[in-house]
Amino acid sequence: MTSKEDLHELAEYIVKHGLSLGADQVEAYTLYGSAKSVQVERGSIRKFTDVSNSGLGIRIIKDKSIGMASTTIFTTESIENCVKNAYSLAKVSPPDPNFDSLPFDDKPSPEIPGRHDQAIIDLDVEEFTELILQSIQEAQIHENAVIGGNFTTGHGVRYIVNSLGIDRTSSQTSVSGYLGVKIAEGEDIGNAYYYDAATALSNFKHLKIGNVAGERAKKMLGSKKIETASLPVLLDPDSTYGTVEPILSNGINALSVFNRTAFFVDKIGDSIASEKLNITDDPFYPGGTDSSPFDDEGVVPKKLNLIENGMLQTYITDSYTAPLVGLENTGHASRGSFASRPRPAPYTLSIKPGTTSKDSLLSDMKEGVLMIASPLHSSGNNPQISAQINQGFLVKNGEILHPIKNAVIGCTVFDVYQKIDDLSKETENRSGHEAPWMLLEELQVSGGK
Amino acid sequence: MLDILENVINSVTLTPKDFLDIRYAYAMGESLTVRNGRFDSISNQTTGGVAIRALIDNAWGFTTIVNTDKESILKAANKAIKMAKAGSKYTKQERTIGDKWVYEGSGATKLEIDPRDIDKETKFEKIVKTEQTAREYSDTIAEASATYQESHSKEFVVNNRGTKVSNKTHTIRLMKNVVGREGTKMQNVFDSIGGVGGWELIENWNPEEEGLKSAVLVEKLLLAREPPSGKMNVIMDPSLTGVFIHEAFGHACEADGIIAKNSILEGKIDQRVGVEGINVYDDPTIPQLRGTFEYDSEGTKARKRVLVEDGILKEYFHTLETATTLGMEPNGSGRAMNFNVTPQARMGNSYVDDGDMKLEEIAEMAKDGVYLKDSYGGYVVPAKGQFYFTCQLGYYIENGEITDMMGNVGMSGMTLEVLQNTFAIGEKWDAAFQGTCGKGGQWVPVTGGGPNLGVSDLVVGGTKQ
Repeated sequence: MTSKEDLHELAEYIVKHGLSLGADQVEAYTLYGSAKSVQVERGSIRKFTDVSNSGLGIRIIKDKSIGMASTTIFTTESIENCVKNAYSLAKVSPPDPNFDSLPFDDKPSPEIPGRHDQAIIDLDVEEFTELILQSIQEAQIHENAVIGGNFTTGHGVRYIVNSLGIDRTSSQTSVSGYLGVKIAEGEDIGNAYYYDAATALSNFKHLKIGNVAGERAKKMLGSKKIETASLPVLLDPDSTYGTVEPILSNGINALSVFNRTAFFVDKIGDSIASEKLNITDDPFYPGGTDSSPFDDEGVVPKKLNLIENGMLQTYITDSYTAPLVGLENTGHASRGSFASRPRPAPYTLSIKPGTTSKDSLLSDMKEGVLMIASPLHSSGNNPQISAQINQGFLVKNGEILHPIKNAVIGCTVFDVYQKIDDLSKETENRSGHEAPWMLLEELQVSGGK
Repeated sequence: MLDILENVINSVTLTPKDFLDIRYAYAMGESLTVRNGRFDSISNQTTGGVAIRALIDNAWGFTTIVNTDKESILKAANKAIKMAKAGSKYTKQERTIGDKWVYEGSGATKLEIDPRDIDKETKFEKIVKTEQTAREYSDTIAEASATYQESHSKEFVVNNRGTKVSNKTHTIRLMKNVVGREGTKMQNVFDSIGGVGGWELIENWNPEEEGLKSAVLVEKLLLAREPPSGKMNVIMDPSLTGVFIHEAFGHACEADGIIAKNSILEGKIDQRVGVEGINVYDDPTIPQLRGTFEYDSEGTKARKRVLVEDGILKEYFHTLETATTLGMEPNGSGRAMNFNVTPQARMGNSYVDDGDMKLEEIAEMAKDGVYLKDSYGGYVVPAKGQFYFTCQLGYYIENGEITDMMGNVGMSGMTLEVLQNTFAIGEKWDAAFQGTCGKGGQWVPVTGGGPNLGVSDLVVGGTKQ
């Protein structure tokens, strides 16, 4: 029972079966997933892979107690056991007084253009491999270039059925790939990678993957250690998105807000960042890899303004957390996998650009650090950031001097948001994830010199 | 099941040079989490299926199915063979698997107390009291959580060289995480116990003591000094030494990375990589640790690996393929997270061996710097030999004395420098880092450890100017 059609029927069966055991509410999440991958090693093909990622997850509620079970095994016995396990766990688990109800939502889910591309499903492995070989060719920009990576096409169909009447189905295709390039000249090593992902084959920039990975690796040759100093930091769009998104994801998710571990507790309507920062979240961005017509509980979300002129506008919620923070359900439930309990998470963020050109941001920098695909990450829930510079360059008088070896930037997530000095007018849009170049005021840079 | 898999192997047409293995993997796990007084997640997970891997004319084909009847597995085996053949025209490297390594046997974790025989209330009690004690300690505790996990798995591997192995593994783990908050200042303390085995590994966890210990530490950390920045002398505690040797060195010893020309340690066997007196091992046969196993996911018998002996690099982590390619012996390092992925060269229980120095003596040698404790994890870019790892807390070392506490911080270093920059090795190693290692999208349990270790010139990324 692993065909796409069967899995909807299976979800309906699970809900009925759970109720028949005595459950108050039941939710079934079934996923049909297939993935074909090609692994690249030393510039040629190493491995072809074709696997199923199908599975199912069940949530059962009994007297406000919640039990969950999941399986990848679709035999009748395994499915029966799965329902039984979820019910047994709900029966023995202490009640959660904060649990209100599974959601109900009868809003029609929108059609998102470009989410499903038959060309990806029809792409045979030989055609896919030809694209990959072209990408490898682009990366071969130096006689010593060592090229490795992985490319994947995927197709997933998701079904969410619950006992309150939610019954949703969505299908999505994907194509993604990355190449890592290493160039060694004696003891001097330049190393970089680049990736792209899309929901439609025509939007997949396979040549850019090879080209950018190769060019960046070459630029990383000649890296040097630097002195410890307090310096301004200029982030490229990948670094900007990779820095801003996780901070916001933790900072405004209603579960963390309720638990008082969110960075921005009790801050709706307050300034949490430089007034230059404006962020929207668009669940329906056409062709977005993280776009979705409904969340992982089946609730239809809407486009949200999250930060306007540095002021926090709202938190993101799901059915469990919305009542806890006194907001409506924004439809942001997200599961790491079919086995996980949903948690609020953003979809596709767009960071509004500024008015300065990116070239001016660089040329006006007296002394600072330029970061390429090197986000400033914090550890876990901690607001402290102590982030290694993976692809970074020392800049003096607007000129890039050399790549940086072995250095760490220390600051806090609050510093990052408050110290936004400027944003470029140019942005990069990666399947809806849109960000400009971002200049941060001085941060502490620990060097190895 | 082994017989069905063997039957399929015997039913497909292969040349002597071709390689085919079939692996059935099944796992059942239970996870219970309590957070801020509420049951956050109570779940049961089952995964299972058959993985078929073929190496033909230098290319791999890999596919998986969830059905376990002979006909379905045979069909999938032929699909893997077809995929490998299709890939062979695109590959430029030679790949084979030697025919001299054949393993037969069965392994099973020693289980003194089967956690499946323990009632749920007893399991709940361990986590509820831990979480409650921490949460109720003071108003500055923003969040307390505790998680109980158990897993029971079996893996059967056969290949056309004659290997026929079965393995049963049981793991158990208790974790706690406590977050303290004063305004925008936050600190958290994470700790865990457990390993490969049964209830006996966590039986002595005293929930009240454990909850209290974390809460008290979090409170102290909120008042601790800001961590320094710059290049300095660092003393690592056994947990930090464990993650340090895992990230800085262990990953660079993985032979698939060596073959992919993606490791700074390529071609360095029998060369000096560390100071005299430093020894680094990885031993998956040590009982009850997180990275303990008897056979790997290719069916190879696991054994202790001598990575560094007296400062000289001696061995890499091998799969069957990497051992064949490099003309070395396999050492049972081919680990796969589940049935849906292929084995990779991985670590098990990595550690720096004992030296003879006391902590106070090492601090005296360091004179000024930091003494860092309790790992959060880290990562490495083996191609350029640059690694990064973080700690939960530390202490300043001033004039040879360990002084004030400081908050969490990250560090960076270069693989080929750090073992050469080791200036002191402590007297007793401890398997203190209970981690989960990620590589190529696969997560496997590992342990890291060592004694206190003094290293010069690490870059510490604090905020203090």
